[in-house]
Amino acid sequence: MNNAIEVTQLRKEFKSYSSRTGLRGAFRDLLTRNYKIVPAVNDINFTVKQGEMVAYIGENGAGKSTTIKMLTGILEPTSGKLRVNGMNPHREREKFTRTIGVVFGQRSQLWWDIAVQESFRLLKKVYKVSDQQYDEHMGHVIKTLDIGPLLDKPVRKLSLGQRMRCELAAALIHNPPLLFLDEPTIGLDVLVKLKIREFLKEINEKYNTTILLTTHDLGDIEALCNRVVMLDEGKIVYDGELDSLKNNWAEQKEIHFQFMNHVNLSELKSLPLTFSAEWEYDEKDQTYIAYLKEEDENISQLISVVVSQFKIKDVKIHETSIEEIVRNIYEKGMN
Amino acid sequence: MFYVTMFFQYMSQYMKTRLEYRADLIVEMISDFLNQAVNLVFILVVFGHTQFLSGWSRDEIIFIYGFFLIPFALFSSFFNIWDFNERYIVKGEMDRILTRPIHSLFQVILERMELESLFGVVTGLVIVVYAGSSLDLAINWYDPFLFILFAIGGALAYAAIFIAIASIGFWSDAKTSIMPMMYNIGNYGRYPVDIYNKVIRFLLTWVLPFAFVGVYPAAYFLGKKEWYAFSFATPLIGIIFFTLSIFIWNRGIRKYRGAGN
Repeated sequence: MNNAIEVTQLRKEFKSYSSRTGLRGAFRDLLTRNYKIVPAVNDINFTVKQGEMVAYIGENGAGKSTTIKMLTGILEPTSGKLRVNGMNPHREREKFTRTIGVVFGQRSQLWWDIAVQESFRLLKKVYKVSDQQYDEHMGHVIKTLDIGPLLDKPVRKLSLGQRMRCELAAALIHNPPLLFLDEPTIGLDVLVKLKIREFLKEINEKYNTTILLTTHDLGDIEALCNRVVMLDEGKIVYDGELDSLKNNWAEQKEIHFQFMNHVNLSELKSLPLTFSAEWEYDEKDQTYIAYLKEEDENISQLISVVVSQFKIKDVKIHETSIEEIVRNIYEKGMN
Repeated sequence: MFYVTMFFQYMSQYMKTRLEYRADLIVEMISDFLNQAVNLVFILVVFGHTQFLSGWSRDEIIFIYGFFLIPFALFSSFFNIWDFNERYIVKGEMDRILTRPIHSLFQVILERMELESLFGVVTGLVIVVYAGSSLDLAINWYDPFLFILFAIGGALAYAAIFIAIASIGFWSDAKTSIMPMMYNIGNYGRYPVDIYNKVIRFLLTWVLPFAFVGVYPAAYFLGKKEWYAFSFATPLIGIIFFTLSIFIWNRGIRKYRGAGN
């Protein structure tokens, strides 16, 4: 099977200016600028096989967007080798962009003032898609994403969720074998998120489309990707399965309890459990927090024991976020 | 061929958008027209007192002005890129352009075209015909073709300057006021260059070839033999400068830094 993306020693540097202080400094800046070279992406290596769904994650400023922009041909790398769909994205840009689809969550690909279907029609011409191909493929896409009723509305009148579904459809007009999604579900409500995830899964199964997505939403990754590439300060700090990432680094689950009556922390600590759980009391929210390892039936055991002894007002199971996982890795080191 | 198809596709898209905002369209056409009228009145007032300006008569100057409007109208309809830096580089619209399989400059031109400026061609022609008839200019059968060729050459020269300046944005995303300044300098091209001193004349010919938009090509139709060499160089200068500017653009694209999210 061919590799969709091959990245070797990829690097992108930006010059950043730092200005001196005071008026004198400002005058000196006029003559000689103080600048330092900052590597936004620092000699990274990875390959993605055709048909894989990969999550590309990391904190803001970790270099995710810069990588995506190099992979899509927007930016030229400072050094390193880059083959995407067998081409050099920046140098063979016009030929290359016919083989990819791009959705940037924060930037519209559609024309603001004209109806969605007019945008589609224009893109269809841009990508030289035949009527027959279009009807066959897009008919299905439009139906699955449920955007039929939106087609005759101008983009500026759509809600965010409606727009994102249209963006996704627009990126798929030429049925590309490789799809880049930058924060595709940011700011969307749960139902739209679910619909988009389902749709992406279906596209992947049907056409063996490779999908590389960046996201802050662990739900996206869990639903779609078996593989996670994690970036921090321009370097890849993890490349592997999501499960092992979570097992290793999201070791603790938090369960938040609120009780009807006053409860002593010592009472909770002396509950009969077959494993150890740590308790804490958060005075601000008046909640009791249990920290425990996510193993076997720990969670259900803890909840059932607590419920049998106390009257509960509220229970929340707190999912570890990507940011927390990154922080854990950072604090404890990779090994 | 693909690019011709795309041109008409974008154009029809553009018309649809424009027709949706009919009131805007009319207001814009009126303000364009008024702008040109004011300029013409200015010339008429200045020449109300003096009939000659270093060897050029009033009607000749008006002819040059009329001719200038035509390449200028072509330029403003298709190379409406004065806000390129802010719109495409600072706001990061260039990201979107670069993910599409059409040459980036061509896409920007297609997206930014403003066909109502073509109205200036009509104004220009009216002025040229009026000035030409009061000068009793003789017209050869090939003159209309040369007229078109020179107009296109002039428009290309004009466009080249602005493309080159827009490309600066790829290297430095600081806001510059070069663009509006260039629009001002561009206006010098519509007066005879020999009224300026040598340095400015040299600049307007070889560095910022605005003289090839107005006075040089117009000189041919006015029968000014001493300028013929420059007149016939117009299409060539247009092509050379335009090619050069595209080269600069293509180099610049490689330096594009993208806007942060």
